[in-house]
Amino acid sequence: MEEPRIGVYVCWCGTNISKMVDVEAVTKEVSTLPSVVLSKNYKYMCSDPGQDLIIKDIKSHNLNRVVVAACSPRLHELTFRNACEKAGINPYLFEMANIREQDSWVHTDRTEATKKAIDLVIAAIRRVRYHESLQKRSVNVDPSTLIIGGGISGMTAALEIANAGKKVFLIEKADHLGGQVARFDLTFPHLSSAQQMIGPMIQRVENHPMINVYLNTELKEVKGYIGNFTARLQFMGVEQPEITFGNIIAAVGLKPFDPSVIEEYSYGKFPDVITSLEFEDKLRAGRILTKYGKEPRNVAIIHCVGSRNKKYHEYCSRVCCMVALKFVHEIRAALPDANIFEIYADMRAYGKGHEEFYAMTTHKQIIFLMYDQQKRLPVISEAHRDDDCNMLIEMNELLSGIDIEVPVDMVILMVNMEAHDNVKEVVRAIGVSLCGNQFFIEKHPKLDPVATTTGGVYIVGTCQGPKDIPDSVAQAKAAAARILGTIAQGSVAVEVTTAVVNESLCCGCQTCISVCPYTALSYDEIKKASVVNEVLCKGCGTCGGCCPAGAITSKHFTDRQILSEIEGIMSMSY
Amino acid sequence: MSVRVQPELRNQLIQFGIGDWNACYHCGTCTAQCPLSEEGFLFPRKKIRLMQMGLKNELEASVEPWLCYYCGDCSTSCPRDANPGELMMSLRRYLTSIYDWTGMSKKFYTSELWELGFIIAFAALVVLSFLIVLPSMGYHFTRELTAEGGVQVNAFAPIHVVETFDWTMAAIVASLLISNILRMYYKIIWKYGNMKVSIWVHIREFWLLILNFTVQPKFNKCDDKRYWLSHWFLMSGYTIMFIVIVVYLPWFQTEKILPVWHPQRLLGYYATFGLLFGLFVAIIGRIQRKDIKFLFSHISDWLFLAMLTLTAITGILIHIFRITGMPVATYISYIAHMSVLVPMILIEVPFSKWSHLAYRPFAVYFQQLKKYAVPR
Repeated sequence: MEEPRIGVYVCWCGTNISKMVDVEAVTKEVSTLPSVVLSKNYKYMCSDPGQDLIIKDIKSHNLNRVVVAACSPRLHELTFRNACEKAGINPYLFEMANIREQDSWVHTDRTEATKKAIDLVIAAIRRVRYHESLQKRSVNVDPSTLIIGGGISGMTAALEIANAGKKVFLIEKADHLGGQVARFDLTFPHLSSAQQMIGPMIQRVENHPMINVYLNTELKEVKGYIGNFTARLQFMGVEQPEITFGNIIAAVGLKPFDPSVIEEYSYGKFPDVITSLEFEDKLRAGRILTKYGKEPRNVAIIHCVGSRNKKYHEYCSRVCCMVALKFVHEIRAALPDANIFEIYADMRAYGKGHEEFYAMTTHKQIIFLMYDQQKRLPVISEAHRDDDCNMLIEMNELLSGIDIEVPVDMVILMVNMEAHDNVKEVVRAIGVSLCGNQFFIEKHPKLDPVATTTGGVYIVGTCQGPKDIPDSVAQAKAAAARILGTIAQGSVAVEVTTAVVNESLCCGCQTCISVCPYTALSYDEIKKASVVNEVLCKGCGTCGGCCPAGAITSKHFTDRQILSEIEGIMSMSY
Repeated sequence: MSVRVQPELRNQLIQFGIGDWNACYHCGTCTAQCPLSEEGFLFPRKKIRLMQMGLKNELEASVEPWLCYYCGDCSTSCPRDANPGELMMSLRRYLTSIYDWTGMSKKFYTSELWELGFIIAFAALVVLSFLIVLPSMGYHFTRELTAEGGVQVNAFAPIHVVETFDWTMAAIVASLLISNILRMYYKIIWKYGNMKVSIWVHIREFWLLILNFTVQPKFNKCDDKRYWLSHWFLMSGYTIMFIVIVVYLPWFQTEKILPVWHPQRLLGYYATFGLLFGLFVAIIGRIQRKDIKFLFSHISDWLFLAMLTLTAITGILIHIFRITGMPVATYISYIAHMSVLVPMILIEVPFSKWSHLAYRPFAVYFQQLKKYAVPR
């Protein structure tokens, strides 16, 4: 190893750092440390003159390591790495000390903050001595895409990609396309027909030359990494030829909550207590009739069934309120004289046109009755013999505080949307993580809502969480745009700071394989050792942490580097 | 014990003038800003809720609609334009029909045909009495009676006959009102209220009834004081006139024209002014529809104003013709006056809008009783 020649740069960040940290003192303190060739400070290191300063010094002083003490590496690590690269040294021979977020912004004592800044800079200097040059890598992208799920999200993404002239494999577990939307009659808030929307879409997907539709097909296994995946499919239990593709969209959707677990509602016991989807079936058939073939005189719609209740699901399903109001319009059109009761916990009309839709629905001669979701659910019971209705709903009406009894002939339960419990294979195959409610987790909830932490794998629609049609479609198009972007580029950069297995130290226990969240590790039977797929590996370090033999090291996070950093931070004794 | 929701009740309530009964989404702004709403007697929101759910018994046991004097602030501040003030007004109409055991009130409020039919029938009976009944009793239109310059009201309409009729009418109206008030008491305090109030409290709080009958202090709590004033003039004018006509008719209906400063004439002028002023404010308000309290007018509101105005005008005409010595014109005005007055009192006081003269002060009294009530 060549002798390290380190340049240290301390940033003022205007007054952000300088008002709480004596920048001059830090610069001076570290200037005499071994291997430090020069130590400077500047008002804004990230500015062009600041970067030029580094580039010039690297060249004139023949520096081979750089430390910048400034803000969080999240913000400017890439900026300074690029500067190093420009000056001709490997970008990984750079280290950043965070003296803003971790120091000046969070402390109030200038002397102490300055001492802490010195510690942090020394740690970075110690660490950077042991940095190694790492090479950037990229992989080619196969232009085909696998889409799992033939609902409205999957089909939208498929059409988007196929219309750009790229191949799509669309697999669907059921024997038809359309997903949940195919079951709906009308949609909210415009009361337009779901059938007229989804029908032509299915036709376009089925007839598109660039889309291969696989019905009755399940995903068995996915291998590979971003740009280069292969998958095993199973058609009605029969293994299919392997397919290859570069990106994956998971659009597996969700399923309606089964209300029979809620005792109060007697679902399954009373034939005229039905779920919202069963009611959609009646609407599509064009007749609202009770089990006994009569038109109901009193219809109740109970909201939040299985939603917003710790016993079932704590989250809100987002669309049921509006679907319930949509039902009001449909019931009122079919049964002008029926009494309609909306038994709700809170009315949520968050979207475009939804509040207006709610206000408009109140003119449909309905009775809103509020119940306390947390205290007591309404109870459905059989009517007395002399009642002119089939059932009674007993509840505490929250807006009046009165215990009331509602006569009903039909009850519609607005069931929660819950995650599929039979998609574990898909989850395992494509390497996505699940949140507490079993929904797929996105890479970043705000800034990267359709990507996942696995490169080349995207999630769209309701498998990510309950949402309405417009949101699902928007996500599908967003994922399609992302994929078309990588296809257009032809290649994608992959992580450099991956794990490395020292095969001679590996004992073959395979602990690392079981803990890897990215399925990046596999066991090589011939070598009797674990192997890292460097494209899949994100360098999280989990495997290295749990390897009992110490056979796994993470590039850029070697034991040596980390221990030196700790030594540096502990070296000063004030 | 839970109470049954009755959605069909709204069809009935709509007939009493309830417009968009479902616009309210229960933010409670109306109740929060109402100067009359108080702990234990919260309105309008809670009453709107009962109405929406059709809880008939709870509505009938409500004293709150009568505690509202319709300043209209709730309707102005309502974010949903649900017009809570008008909903309370409609509830008062509905409750009037509920207290009334004869069922006539409901007929009059929900059918213009019934109300107009009865007004015309009563008016016709009055005219017939003057033209047929009185002459058959021996009171003929003699030459002296109609001679120029000699107005003889007492010969045309004999005091003791008119007085007997007045007392009879007052007795009918009073017995109807009293029986209805007993029903009101039964519904509010006894039946659904399920409360017990001691006799002593009944006696002790009785002064509230008199106070509220005479000066309406609750009305004066509304932010806009103008209507309290115009209402008070109208109310005091009418009450004076009513007492004078029923109790002191011989003192009031004199053959001799007394001097202007005589209390008989001064009282008459005051009552006329009070009536006209109150009527003017109400009629102009209902025509202009600028103030939210006058935005909606039920047919019963207009009929009441029309009859009261006609009564006042015919009364003024009698006076003018009498002091100018025009006998025939005086007698015709007298008949016209009676043919408006009689149906107005027989229909409006026990069965319609005017019954509030009894229900409002009694409501305040009952409210006070409820405050001292113990569960039965």
